[in-house]
Amino acid sequence: MFFHIVLERNMQLHPRYFGRNLRDNLVSKLMKDVEGTCSGRHGFVVAVTGIENIGKGLIRDGTGFVTFPVKYQCVVFRPFKGEILEAVVTMVNKMGFFAEAGPVQIFVSNHLIPDDMEFQSGDMPNYTTSDGSVKIQKDSEVRLKIIGTRVDATEI
Amino acid sequence: MAVIQMSGAANSPENSDCSTDELTAYVELVLDENASTADKEVDSQDQSESFRTNETEGSTSEGSKGKKLVAVSSVEECVHPGSMEGICISCGQNLPEDYGLTVGYMQTGLRLEGEEMSRLSSSTMKSLLNQRKLCLVLDLDHTLLNTTSLIHLTSEEMPLTTNAGALQGTLFVLENMNLMTKLRPFVRTFLKEASEMFEMYIYTMGDRPYALEMAKLLDPQEEYFKDKIISRDDGTKRDKKDLDIVMGTENAILILDDKEEVWPNHNDNLMLMERYLFFKSSCQDFGYKFKSLTALQRDEDETNGALSKILRVLKQIHSAFFDNLQGDLIDRDVRQVLASLRLEVLSRCVIVFSHNFRSDLRPLRNMARRLGATCYTNPDPSVTHIVATEFVTKESRWAVQHNKFLVSRHWLEAANFFYEKQPEDNFLLKQDQ
Repeated sequence: MFFHIVLERNMQLHPRYFGRNLRDNLVSKLMKDVEGTCSGRHGFVVAVTGIENIGKGLIRDGTGFVTFPVKYQCVVFRPFKGEILEAVVTMVNKMGFFAEAGPVQIFVSNHLIPDDMEFQSGDMPNYTTSDGSVKIQKDSEVRLKIIGTRVDATEI
Repeated sequence: MAVIQMSGAANSPENSDCSTDELTAYVELVLDENASTADKEVDSQDQSESFRTNETEGSTSEGSKGKKLVAVSSVEECVHPGSMEGICISCGQNLPEDYGLTVGYMQTGLRLEGEEMSRLSSSTMKSLLNQRKLCLVLDLDHTLLNTTSLIHLTSEEMPLTTNAGALQGTLFVLENMNLMTKLRPFVRTFLKEASEMFEMYIYTMGDRPYALEMAKLLDPQEEYFKDKIISRDDGTKRDKKDLDIVMGTENAILILDDKEEVWPNHNDNLMLMERYLFFKSSCQDFGYKFKSLTALQRDEDETNGALSKILRVLKQIHSAFFDNLQGDLIDRDVRQVLASLRLEVLSRCVIVFSHNFRSDLRPLRNMARRLGATCYTNPDPSVTHIVATEFVTKESRWAVQHNKFLVSRHWLEAANFFYEKQPEDNFLLKQDQ
């Protein structure tokens, strides 16, 4: 599910970036740092949509770096247990198949694939119904329900 | 896309994370409620109409009246057949990190519970047997190839890094790993022909990156080993190998490895291979003092070397298993075929060992017996061979006196490697030895 929320981040900026382009530099750095990352709480930060507020910069003792607290709006994507999602199949094997819904990787075990669908190996491995009417293979679109999520440092 | 706009900073509390959490909690609550009402709806519909679930995963409802439905277990009933990155693949519950057996080599992050593994192994094996295929587990180092670190190359071997010469196509430098690898002669033909009779696995004590690189050299088209490469990072035991994570049943798996001690539980499936030592450093690693193949400037015979001979034996075993044994395929045992084959090798030999083999005596005796030979402690007229360490033992003199074969232990070991009695002339102990 997508959310449009406000997040806050403390950005450290090297003095070389000060001057008339300070704000732009800060915003570019923010986007570079934050877009594409993910956390367990918010999910994936898909895009920064705007800057709410940039607080007063604090010079750090002993170095010339300055820390700015930045509040920014962004679109985040986070999967929820129980949520229904549409996804694109990326890989099929005898243990099940992998699909992607945006940045989220989903594994569907063969245990949860309908019993009337059988695995067929070959150049284009797939799961097919006995009458051949439904086929799940690479690049197929599927609608599925999330039964569990796990976050690690870099992905969900 | 469902987008829920949150209020701006002005209206929300100081800490924006707090409102995200609230919203998250709300969403989860609603989804949970929907999940349970959905279940109930499906149950009541079930009586009246057939309900097809082609794309929805995890639709509930225990099938009734012959409907083709998938039954996702509720969390309480689930047997947890496996986990993917710590989540049960059937019910979604969190499972401990070390749940079941790791089958990461086949599918990253996947672990399978014991019974599920057995079930899958049986069904995989059945389908292989129906295709007239058995299972073959192959070791890499000193069995199919010989690898050495570039820093251990001798001055004679060094030029090979730039100019492979006659060895082009079988000698490879892996710069990023600082290694050089020599493929064993005949290995490509071996793999091609073996693949028609066996489903093949690589099982090496090297780490995963090494295993994958070697697989690329042996199987560039990914025809043989694709998701059947087991490295020491994939095994369940630190410094031993086991068939527990191989998708097959023990009665139909053969192993080719140059080391016995790494297979403590599967000695009966193991076909010991003569070690392939191309580089000097490898000879030294094993404490051998003889000259390496590089020093001798030659290589193992292509058409009459270890791999070629073993391939012939594998063909024999395959044929015996499928054509000579009686009963259901799944009840036949390749270990029996192997044992019977061994018993014929030295079946008419009566052997006495010289007394000074000491701790080697028992293993050598067992080897001889497994090959069908009869072993006596003291020489008598029925004896055919004396196996001795040197020419000057008591037993050796007896052999010379009575005109019996006097051979070194290598005669016995060669018979063990090649499943064939070897000509004694190649192993005779001579006066000056």
